[in-house]
Amino acid sequence: MVLGLAVSRPIVVGVAVIVLILLLLGVYYFYVRAPTAPTTTPTPTTSPPLVKRAEQIIVGVTDKVTDLDPANAYDFFTWEVLSNVMEGLVKYEPGTLNIIPGLAERWEVSGDGRVWTFYLRSNLKFADGTPLTARDVVRSIERVMKINGDPAWLVTEFVDKVEAKDDRTVVFYLKNPVGYFLAVLATPPYFPVHPSYKPDAVDSDQTAGGAGPYRIARFIRDVEIILEENPYYYGPKPETKRVVIRFYRDATGLRLALERGEIDIAWRTLLPQDVEVFRKTPGYKVIEVPGTFIRYVVLNTKMPPFDNKVVRQAIAAVLDRSDIINRAIFGSGTPLYSLIPIGMMGHLDVFKDRYGDKNIELARNLLRQAGYSETNKLKIELWYTPTHYGDTEIYIATVIKEQLEATGLISVELKSAEWATYVQFIREGRLGIYLLGWYPDYLDPDNYMYPFLHSKANKWAGSGYANTEMDRILEEAQITVDMSKREKLYEQAQKILAEDVPYIPLFQGKLYIVVREGVTGIKPSPTMLFFYSTVYKEVKA
Amino acid sequence: MVSKVPGLVRYIVVRGLMVIPTILVLYTFVFLILRVLPGDPVLAVIGTRYIPPEQLERLRELAGLNKPLYEQYLSYLLGILRFDFGVTLVAPQGVPVWDYIKLRFPATLELTVAAFLISVIIGIITGILSAYFRGTILDESLRIYSVLAYTLFIPWFGMILQYIFGVKLQLLPTGGRISPGVHLESITGLYTVDSIVTLNLSAFIDSLKHLLLPSLTLGIVLSGAYTRLVRNNMIDVLVSEFVRSYKARGIREWKIALYSFKNAFIPTVTLMGLQFAILLGGAILTETTFNWPGMGTFIVDRIEYRDYNSIQGAIIFFALMVGLVSLIVDMVYALIDPRVRY
Repeated sequence: MVLGLAVSRPIVVGVAVIVLILLLLGVYYFYVRAPTAPTTTPTPTTSPPLVKRAEQIIVGVTDKVTDLDPANAYDFFTWEVLSNVMEGLVKYEPGTLNIIPGLAERWEVSGDGRVWTFYLRSNLKFADGTPLTARDVVRSIERVMKINGDPAWLVTEFVDKVEAKDDRTVVFYLKNPVGYFLAVLATPPYFPVHPSYKPDAVDSDQTAGGAGPYRIARFIRDVEIILEENPYYYGPKPETKRVVIRFYRDATGLRLALERGEIDIAWRTLLPQDVEVFRKTPGYKVIEVPGTFIRYVVLNTKMPPFDNKVVRQAIAAVLDRSDIINRAIFGSGTPLYSLIPIGMMGHLDVFKDRYGDKNIELARNLLRQAGYSETNKLKIELWYTPTHYGDTEIYIATVIKEQLEATGLISVELKSAEWATYVQFIREGRLGIYLLGWYPDYLDPDNYMYPFLHSKANKWAGSGYANTEMDRILEEAQITVDMSKREKLYEQAQKILAEDVPYIPLFQGKLYIVVREGVTGIKPSPTMLFFYSTVYKEVKA
Repeated sequence: MVSKVPGLVRYIVVRGLMVIPTILVLYTFVFLILRVLPGDPVLAVIGTRYIPPEQLERLRELAGLNKPLYEQYLSYLLGILRFDFGVTLVAPQGVPVWDYIKLRFPATLELTVAAFLISVIIGIITGILSAYFRGTILDESLRIYSVLAYTLFIPWFGMILQYIFGVKLQLLPTGGRISPGVHLESITGLYTVDSIVTLNLSAFIDSLKHLLLPSLTLGIVLSGAYTRLVRNNMIDVLVSEFVRSYKARGIREWKIALYSFKNAFIPTVTLMGLQFAILLGGAILTETTFNWPGMGTFIVDRIEYRDYNSIQGAIIFFALMVGLVSLIVDMVYALIDPRVRY
């Protein structure tokens, strides 16, 4: 007897357990699914609220900083931090693809395109007041060449010698004339670094920085990095004195921190589903940045059945990019029909012109031509990596599988491997068809074509693609300085790409920044590097 | 007690020596698995970025990947014998692994001790209540609690707590050890201890707030194991001869409970020691959920990078800790259990 009722004890206990479980499920459903709007005190309607600028802004990321040394840093986020605490001879105008003077106020090129002379501004200083002269520029670049770290090729492939003619003049002697040298020059390996940097070795935790708008006040690896305005910067003071960057382990932690108010800005890696939710929640703003990173399928031209060009073309014809974008990645991309991104010089929608989207008819014809039928299907293993590009990767692979199998002539098995393993398999040429992505090193069509299509440069991609005509065109485009000639060459190259299909471009990514209301001044850049100096937050005074 | 000491000393020495083959076997096992696993430190970090082939070779050379396997094996082993855990191979390269361990271990220690205390307190109280009121509805509910608690999936449970206390009620932070901008002098690396020692009240409160949710998450889940153990051992004692004789002699209830508990405690100590030792390896699920910069998150990151030296060093360090803690547990065991002789 329990509680005066003629009910046996086990039943009572069982009911209590069920109630408890339902309670927990209810908590989960009502609280965890929907985010909260940040709590704000209601302002009186009579007088306008007084606002002031916040002294500090906190940015949350799920990236990591690897080496605070441009001689070895070769990852996206470290480049972003370096671009805020250092500056190069030239830089991108915030929000555009235009290259404008940085530490150099003007420059000249010799007639043959091999000798570039840069004139530095006067009175340049590092973040501690140490003067910055042409000799520091030369020292830093020679240091990169000597240390020969991961990104060193950005210097050594192009630059033969660099000299300081005087305190304010730097001269580059290039190995070959390079039409896009300014784009390369804007990358971190060319940033002048403070003399404290170890001259012969990578200085991963060095916080002395360079000559950018911010300086590093504090760096606790994997926890946070604190930037403060650089009093000696030649340009305009940053809008916010102090920027704290906090490192989170995953997108969920990042989202929770944003909702809790622990961070003001969540940069890039929120899940697309979470971004959608924030769009609808008052108190937050979602800013969309057209990305210059691309996603594509790689086909191993040395591995049957992909060594058959007709099979590759058939697969290219079947794919429906909009379907993938809408169903797999919540709309966070734009269909891409070439390796060169939309908006960049030379871009042509070659895959659209040649195959269209969801061209099942053409695909079936090509497959039959290759000898496949309903009883003799093309069997393939489609590979992807489950976390490196975000959690949505499996959805992309699943949608592609559906699309391919809709032809009735293909049967697809999905396979995955964790990133380091995936990379190894690819380099060994063990995979036949797989998904990859590409973040540019510098913004020029060369960086989207040469590393993929030149037989000497594309070993990393595992496509095994080698076409002497393509090699020749790409080499010529590298050393041509006339932009319209280069454009014609890349158009030729793209047409061959669409014919040979070692790669099938899928979409160009969009990046999202989610911020709390009151945060302004975000100028998204095609380089996808976030410049903190224009950002500020308005709070109630 | 006098008769125990020389035996105890010999016991400790023997146990100490036993650690050596343990570490050797563990090291060999980890070394082989890491080398068999596809991917290496250079590739894991370079990924699919463009890099000239000669450059790639040079980087592999720098990371010592081109040396024959037995040479890599021996040189690291010899380093361990000199307490040199090597340097990181990538991201960033060349940082002594020991520096990282010094940096991350205190974070894990702080979390472990806090979670451990919570789990023991909850576990013992629920165990005692369960045993004392055995057969009642309280007993049944507490036993269900213990099963539920132990089955909770830590990331899920942690997220629920983060949501309720962090986002909805805005009471506690959702992750990290301390708020940005709070300055604390680092002496032991244990933020709560350091703030007390330096009389920094605001830092103490801030670090305690950060510590609360992760240790509560982990502590509640672990407490489930203790409840049943303490309950069952207490019941064995409560129905035993000597307790009945106490009752017959009219000794008060609470004293009986205390004596029973002291006897029931012995098997619990073993479990406590084991759990504590395992926690020192870095409660990985808790640390990753709460963005806690301890050994757990360190090992997870280093595995992604295939940083062989860091992984080997961290695991060997962990094995040493487990050896040390289990030795201490055995000594405590010897001291409190009068039946144990050496």
